Amino acid sequence: MRNSVYVLGIGQTIFGRHDSLTVNDLGATAVLAAVKDAQIAPKALEVGYCGTINSPPTPAQSILHRIGVDRIPMYTVENACASGSSAVHLLHENIALGACEIGIAFGVESLSAFNRKFGKGLLVIEGDLQGKLALTMPSFFAMICNRLMEERGATIEDICYPSVKNHRAGLTNPFSQYKKAVTVEEIMASPMIADPITVLQCCPQSDGAAAIVLCSEAFFKKHNRKGHRAPVRIAGSVISVSGAEDASFDPLALKAMIDGAREACEMASVDAAKDINVVEMHDAFSGEELAAYEMLGLCRPGEGIALARSGAVELGGRCPVNPSGGLLSMGHPLGASGVRVVNDVVRQLWGEAGANQVEGAKVGMAQMLGGVLTGVESPVVAGIQILTR
Amino acid sequence: MSKQAIFHPGALEERDGVLVQMGNQCVGCGRTSYPAVELCPFCSSEQLKKVPLSATGKLFSFCVTRVPVGPYKPPIIGGYIDLHEGTRVFGQIHARVEDVKTGMKLKRETGVIWTEKDGTEVLGYFYVPCGGEQ
Repeated sequence: MRNSVYVLGIGQTIFGRHDSLTVNDLGATAVLAAVKDAQIAPKALEVGYCGTINSPPTPAQSILHRIGVDRIPMYTVENACASGSSAVHLLHENIALGACEIGIAFGVESLSAFNRKFGKGLLVIEGDLQGKLALTMPSFFAMICNRLMEERGATIEDICYPSVKNHRAGLTNPFSQYKKAVTVEEIMASPMIADPITVLQCCPQSDGAAAIVLCSEAFFKKHNRKGHRAPVRIAGSVISVSGAEDASFDPLALKAMIDGAREACEMASVDAAKDINVVEMHDAFSGEELAAYEMLGLCRPGEGIALARSGAVELGGRCPVNPSGGLLSMGHPLGASGVRVVNDVVRQLWGEAGANQVEGAKVGMAQMLGGVLTGVESPVVAGIQILTR
Repeated sequence: MSKQAIFHPGALEERDGVLVQMGNQCVGCGRTSYPAVELCPFCSSEQLKKVPLSATGKLFSFCVTRVPVGPYKPPIIGGYIDLHEGTRVFGQIHARVEDVKTGMKLKRETGVIWTEKDGTEVLGYFYVPCGGEQ
């Protein structure tokens, strides 16, 4: 029997270039904001999980000590772009299984610090065979775009559509890194990275942190001081990992993402195609979002392009995807994004998303995807959370 | 003669004076994995037989990277090549960009893929077109 898990508070830094701030500065800002939003004493926290990819050792402790949280179990978890999702997932499991009543999950990353250390440029996985042969994230997703064009009849306009939509959404989000609308012509005129992916189809490198306080139903009833907010639960949470790859693998049907979304929906007793009102997801590349609609179950296999063309995934449509502006506008501080997408869904269910509000949103999905490795169906890990009110 | 090294441990082995990609064929499930790792990545079987991979295959999908990556200068053509034994291998394709098409037949070659600052020649594999679709 799993206990219900409630959201008590959220917080984040604005994502962007914060050259002068350390990972600990960024993380401390986010965890303090979340604790204040939850209106609890920091010492009430019973466990802390930090998601990050490239931070110095023990960021969970370094950051939580700055708000006086000590002598509780703390963990740092790395799981590619799903690191933040994994932190949320582990905290959710702790509370759902009755191991604790309240805890904090956060994600943090400074790509500025990473670039100072390793130099700029496209990242490859160190020591990986494919990485040594120049397989990068944009080149992998370029193949997904090429498959979308060959197998699903996508046009360049379709491939650019999520970028146009998400940049537009970023204009009215006070938290977004970019506040600039772009057209298909501007996108295709920007420098080519990996055909057909241009710079304006890629999310930026960012620094930032996001945090969330989760608690049990009993704790929520006793300590929730924000009665005006509808109670929001994490009703489903899954970390889904891929397996060995052979020639039967179809990158337009990523098993890790399809299974993860299906299992999380089953856990929450939600029908993805009917019940989900809002999705926040990993749109590191414009074409990646386009490919994901069908894998997340928002439509039937093969109908993702038609779904996009129908306007269903825009604000005002049946199921807006990335009304925050997504990674494309919000920026992508790797470990932080998995927590940020959950926070943005929470904001939608609380009705606190301002100009980007999805009217009457009751059920939302947060998704992250990451990792490209030799011999493993890539991306290698998906994190999915379903939130309900 | 300058120093030489293989780009990735176990990725290539010398057989009769030529470098070949060596994979693991699983006696349990029959699948061939590359590069060779401890157990069969599909079924965990320990019964593995080292086998040379097919030298030709069919291009499943490809991408053209237009910015430098590590030691490589653009355009860098990379792709997944499906071998007849069912293994999918990633490799660079040495060809003119306009000549590369999904589904084309490719042949494996080996040679120097980059040179280290100290002059060490790093040996690896790459694919070249070998005529028509498979």
